Order: sequence, then C-alpha cells, then structure tokens
Amino acid sequence: MSERRIGVYICHCGGNISDYVDVEKVRAAVGDEPGVVVAKTAMFTCSDATQQEMVQDIQEQNLDGLVVASCSPKLHTFTFRGAAKRADLNPYQYTQVNIREQCSWTHTDDKAGATGKAIRLVRAGIAHTRLSTPLEPIVVETVPKALVIGGGIAGLRAALGLSDIGLAAVLVEKEPEIGGWVAGFEGMYPHAKGGRQLIASLWGEIQKRPDVTVFTNAEVIGKSGSFGNYQATIRVNSRPAETIPVEVGSIIVATGFDSYQPEADEYGYGMDGVVTLPEFKKMIDSSTGPLVYKGKPVKDIAYIYCVGSRQKPDLPNANRYCSRYCCNAAVHASLTVAAKGAKVHQYHLYRDMRTYGKYELLYKESREEGSLFLKFADDAPPAVTRDENSGKLSVTVADQLTVGTELTIPADLVVLVTGMVPRSNEELVKTLKLPVGKDRFFNEIHPKLRPVETVVDGVYICGACQGPKNSAESVASALAAVTQSAGILKKGFAELEPLVATVKPDQCAWCGKCQETCPYGAVEKVRLNDQDVAAINEAVCKGCGGCVPVCPRDAIDLQGYTDAQVKAMIDGLLKEIG
Amino acid sequence: MALLNPDLVDVVRQNNEFNASACMNCGVCSAVCPMGIELLPRKLFRYVLLGMEDQVKVNTETIYSCLLCKVCEVNCPAGVHIAENVRSLRHFINRQVFRL
Repeated sequence: MSERRIGVYICHCGGNISDYVDVEKVRAAVGDEPGVVVAKTAMFTCSDATQQEMVQDIQEQNLDGLVVASCSPKLHTFTFRGAAKRADLNPYQYTQVNIREQCSWTHTDDKAGATGKAIRLVRAGIAHTRLSTPLEPIVVETVPKALVIGGGIAGLRAALGLSDIGLAAVLVEKEPEIGGWVAGFEGMYPHAKGGRQLIASLWGEIQKRPDVTVFTNAEVIGKSGSFGNYQATIRVNSRPAETIPVEVGSIIVATGFDSYQPEADEYGYGMDGVVTLPEFKKMIDSSTGPLVYKGKPVKDIAYIYCVGSRQKPDLPNANRYCSRYCCNAAVHASLTVAAKGAKVHQYHLYRDMRTYGKYELLYKESREEGSLFLKFADDAPPAVTRDENSGKLSVTVADQLTVGTELTIPADLVVLVTGMVPRSNEELVKTLKLPVGKDRFFNEIHPKLRPVETVVDGVYICGACQGPKNSAESVASALAAVTQSAGILKKGFAELEPLVATVKPDQCAWCGKCQETCPYGAVEKVRLNDQDVAAINEAVCKGCGGCVPVCPRDAIDLQGYTDAQVKAMIDGLLKEIG
Repeated sequence: MALLNPDLVDVVRQNNEFNASACMNCGVCSAVCPMGIELLPRKLFRYVLLGMEDQVKVNTETIYSCLLCKVCEVNCPAGVHIAENVRSLRHFINRQVFRL
C-alpha cells in the first residue's frame, strides 16, 4: 500500500475522449490503484467548475498528488499547475496524462483498445505521481542587457527602445556601416522622408546613449547559457580579428532581408534597360532633374510586378508568399518620377494590386497622375524583347482589363518590381538555433499572440528577417521585441523549470561521459572532498535526460522523471487489465 | 497586337475633361445601361487610355448611341464622370472623324 493520497480526474472532453474511451470504465479500473483516494470523471476537467472541485478535494481530502487525464500537456500543464498551487499543493506533484491526442483521437476505430490503453496510461501517471516530490522553480538573476543583431532601421530602433526602457544594449552589425537598406534610400513612402535622414537621426540619438554599444564589421559567432544569462561571442572582423565576449539577458535578431535577384533572362533581366526595383530606386534617388538613362531622357517606363514573389510551386525553392511592400514601393516610385517634371508615360503590369491600408491613397494618386495599370493573368506573364528598329525595349502583355487584348508597350526602362527574400544566415541560425520556416524566413511561436518570440527562450525576431515588412512594420515589431525583452529582464530574475539533472556525488567517479553527451554544456567538473565529480549548472540544463543513461554508475537522475519514476510508470503500463 | 499610344488621351482631353483613371473595370455601367451598350463605357475608355485610336474610331456609332442618361454614372462605384467623358469623346470624333 502507499502512504500517498492522490486525486485522479478523467476528462470526457465533451465527447472528444468519451466517444471512444469508456471513461467510467477507466475510472473504475484505476480507482483502487495504490495511493488513489479520489477518482472522478468530468465533462471538461479544464472548466472552472471542475478546477474548483479539484481544489476543494485537495484541501478537504488532504491530497498530496494530482493526476489529470485529458489532453496534451502542451495545452493545459499550466492550467492544472495553477489549480494545484491554488490548493497549496506543489505543482510538480501533478501529472498530466494525454488520453486525447495520443489515445481517443488516434484509435477512433477501436473503442475497447482505446479504453484499455487509457487505463494503462492513467495507471502510469498515477505511478509517476506516487513517487513525485515537491520541487521549486530555479530562480536565476537576469542580466539587464540585450544583444541586438543587425543595425538596420529595426535593430537601431530596438537598441534605442532598450535604452529608453532602462536596459543596456549591444548592437552588432555585419557591414562596416550601420543603417542597412534604409540608409541607402532617399524619399520613402508614405511621407517622402528620406531613409538616410531617418537613420541619421536614429544614429545621432544612439550616440548620446552611453548604455548602447555598437560593433560594426562584426558577427555573433557563439552563444551559451540560458535566457536571462546568455554568454555571446562577438567577432569583430578587423585586422587582426578580435573576439569579444558579452553577457546579455536576451537576444533580438533583426538581420533583415535580401532583394530578389532575377534569374538571367527572367523578364529580360540582363538586357540593357531592364532593372530591379532597388536599382531603379537608386536611379531615381541619384537624379535631381527628369530621369535620364545612359544620356537619353526616359519617356516610357514599364513596371512588371510580382517578380520573385507569389511564384508557382513547381519552381525549385519557390517564393510562394506575397512580398507586400513592393506594390507600394513601385507606386511610390512612379509618383516620384512624375514629380520630377518631365512627361513620362508609366505602365504598371500587375497581377493584383496590394496597396493595402493607407497606401491605397498612393495608388489612387498614381492613377490620377496618369499611370496606366494593366492586369496580366497568372499564366500569361508579360514578355520583354528589344525592338530592332527603334532600339527601344518592347513589353507585350495581354491586358485583362481590355478584354485580354494583346498590347505592345514601347519602353526606355523596364522595372522588375522585385520582392524580399530571406537572407542566407546559416551560421547565425546554427549559433542561435533559430527556427526557420518553410519560406526560409525566421519563425515566431504564434503569428497572432506571440509574434516576436521564438521557441528559443529569450531570443526574439523582428523586422524583415521574419518575413516581408516595410520599415514602419519593422520598427513596430522591433519595439515589440524590446517589450518582450523588458518583460523578462526588468524583473531582475527568471524562473526556470526545476526538471533538471542532478548528480549523486558519492556515486560519481568522474569519467566525463555525461559532459561529452550534454548538448547544452551544462555539465562541469568540480572538486568535492578531494574527488573530481560532475556538477550540473541548473540554469543551463534543459532536462533532456541525455546524460542519465550514459552514466556507468547511475549517478545522475532527472528531477521529475527519476529512474524510479520511469520504472514505476513502465510497471503501471504493463499491469494486466482485469 | 496593338501598339500603345499614350498620347491619345491628351488629344481627347484637348479643351475637355476626360478622366477614367479610377475605373476598375467592374462592369456595373454595362449592366445597368438601358441601351444595352456593352462597349460603353468601360471598354471604350480603356481604348482611349491605352491609345488604341482605331478601336475608338470604329465605334463612332456606339459613342453616339449613348443617351447621356447617367444611370451608369450614378451607379459607378469608382465615381467616374462617365457622361462627361462620353461628351469629350464625341468632341474628339467630331474633330477627327467628321472633321467638324
């Protein structure tokens, strides 16, 4: 018999579980397991009413263990830990058993089998709980400093935001100059303020801040530690190269984007007069009067939209996404051209115009100013050739707005409205273990509710390294990353899961196998009573358990998943079902 | 295959108002036209904007079939001054086709 007093709650999940698993049968089967004092079923264990009932049972029946058999621990671990806490039960004496995703939903064709499996799973959960001990979160002090990677508009604004909120910032820029893409722009939409000036004003402000340190020509080449206490290594590519270690609490990645580079011959790219949007923007920015190309005034411009964006899936590494900034940027470019005085005919060949939000007004203005918009079908893209007689470029397109009439447009310049593509940052991805999405941009945890956090605690992403964004959106996400950093660093401490490895020093003879196998560098050799033994850095250990089986002397155990608990769970799983 | 002549619209505009830049080709105008003129105004305006002069001229009859009743104009979601544009087109035809 067991001394423990355990409460077991089995969920119907409104039918999600009980349509396939006979929950009453499960309750009856586990009710007399050693240590079980309360065994109940509930329509929804996560409901306020059932949680309240649990709290009441724990207090009235003096329970010292809790088992909830419902859905995945990903969904409700924190819900039921909270219920345990409210009843003054240590949250680590609660065990979640998954009888939905891993049982009822997977065995919809075998109700008896699903019920049997659920009984075994719940028994294992009870066995695990029987050997549970109270654990306290590991509290680590945090470093009130953040590392910002990338010195474009997002990174600069993030560094300034950190300083504003009272956190020090270390900014690392790969290039010799800060400012990124935006520093190379003159007038930008919607208010035509120059990018160069925007960067200059940010830079001017940063120079006044003693708590912001900037490294240019530098890269982050190493990261260890855990959130709140990262040790990062910066390499400054000077001669000779210099490596600088920094201690930071969080890391904000703002490495930006690359512009799509068309293939040779894609829409005539490579022909004289066929340029990409950034090349065209440079041309506009560097001309004071009317646009001139190779000594000749530019009279006709054809823009081809969606180059490198919304590509068909059959292309290798197709960019399936819309780059969303390019419609606005091209329309704005056409307005800038028109404002330069000389009469220029401008033709916009598009698939769909996506001048979303306030930028719709730019589109309207561009049409009123005289730009002509022609829509081509996805499967009938325009073709660019050179007219041998006139020497001009010639763009042919079937305009869907003119009943598909085939048109030939003479042009001095053809602008390929190119989108954003992810930067190749393989080294950084490896160093920070950054999650990369299908589109090869960096991935957030949740697109709506956790838009700048990554699965790596304390590592945030912002700006166009996450996906196409204009500068306003990049800055907004940069400030979101600042807020998230402040959320953990301003408290001064962080609470980590106590489910970490522990060493029994009297059994350890230091062979070093655990240190070799640890992927996080959490094992250290320490001297104890004139003996070398292993010690675990609790703040660094992730509780993966990799070190436990390699120890030849069974000197390591994992808190919350001890060998004894795992063995008891196996016994619980294998027990006969009567 | 038609070659674009972006200057045609300036000829039509001579002393007249012609503005169809807001037209998004939805077809409401054609749907509500009591004369059932399918061509006017959306396709014809497009020909003017693109400079397809021949297409405009061969449709002289159509341009004069319009009653200028403005049913299309009050229903136009883009607020194009359709009747005024048709007047400008007639002026253009008078000059260019009838040599008036």
